[in-house]
Amino acid sequence: MEVIELIKLISASIICWINFVIVDIYFGLPKKPGVSGAEVIGNKIEKIGGNINGGYFMGNIVCSPDASAGTLMASIFYYVMGLKGGLIASMLIFIGNRLCNDPGYAGTIGAITATILLYAFSGIIEPKYFIGGMVIAIFTIQGLYHIGASKLLGNLAKKLRMI
Amino acid sequence: MDIVMLSVGILSVITGFRIIISRSKAQKMLYVCCLNFCVAALIALYIKSPMGAIASIAYFIGSTISSNAIAHTIGEMKKIKDIND
Repeated sequence: MEVIELIKLISASIICWINFVIVDIYFGLPKKPGVSGAEVIGNKIEKIGGNINGGYFMGNIVCSPDASAGTLMASIFYYVMGLKGGLIASMLIFIGNRLCNDPGYAGTIGAITATILLYAFSGIIEPKYFIGGMVIAIFTIQGLYHIGASKLLGNLAKKLRMI
Repeated sequence: MDIVMLSVGILSVITGFRIIISRSKAQKMLYVCCLNFCVAALIALYIKSPMGAIASIAYFIGSTISSNAIAHTIGEMKKIKDIND
């Protein structure tokens, strides 16, 4: 029984990872730092041996609620309120983006795509696993090994031709 | 306690230790961002009601704004140091 739960958690984290990385790269997070703080973090990552574009990506996640925050909030609101919760979450993320002086497309679109994914997988994986899965996905980028994560994100952005 | 809460809790403890250990201010900001995700998820998992989700999003947006302010301040401090050097 617990093995099935573990498989659900890991597959939810893979779905969340793919969702937020692709939406963020598509909306140009690795291209340039949004605020000066993100530039500092990008330069620091480059100094310790990582990729500058991956560093900008990670700095932008810290400084503004983007698609990663959108995915987490959409899964939380879907968990407590169902399908309409995901739409409320995308509106609240848009307000948060505007407070952080960001155009706010990445976060809003990320929340909407996450809601669609949650609806599509609703029979197989419960929204609870997506909350845990998103935390694991952000841990692999921001908390595990910064140099490797920045190189992986930089290479992905290059492959998708977004730099 | 179910497996989701347990795994989020373990990850938040690991991240907390890494914040204390790491020396660089910029890398500390990245770990703090990860910890914010963990705490927001734990709030919503613990309070299973719409009000819990509202509390979670209020915490998350507030913490992101403060991270934004701290990172901006680190950037400005570096600029002042560069001028003085």
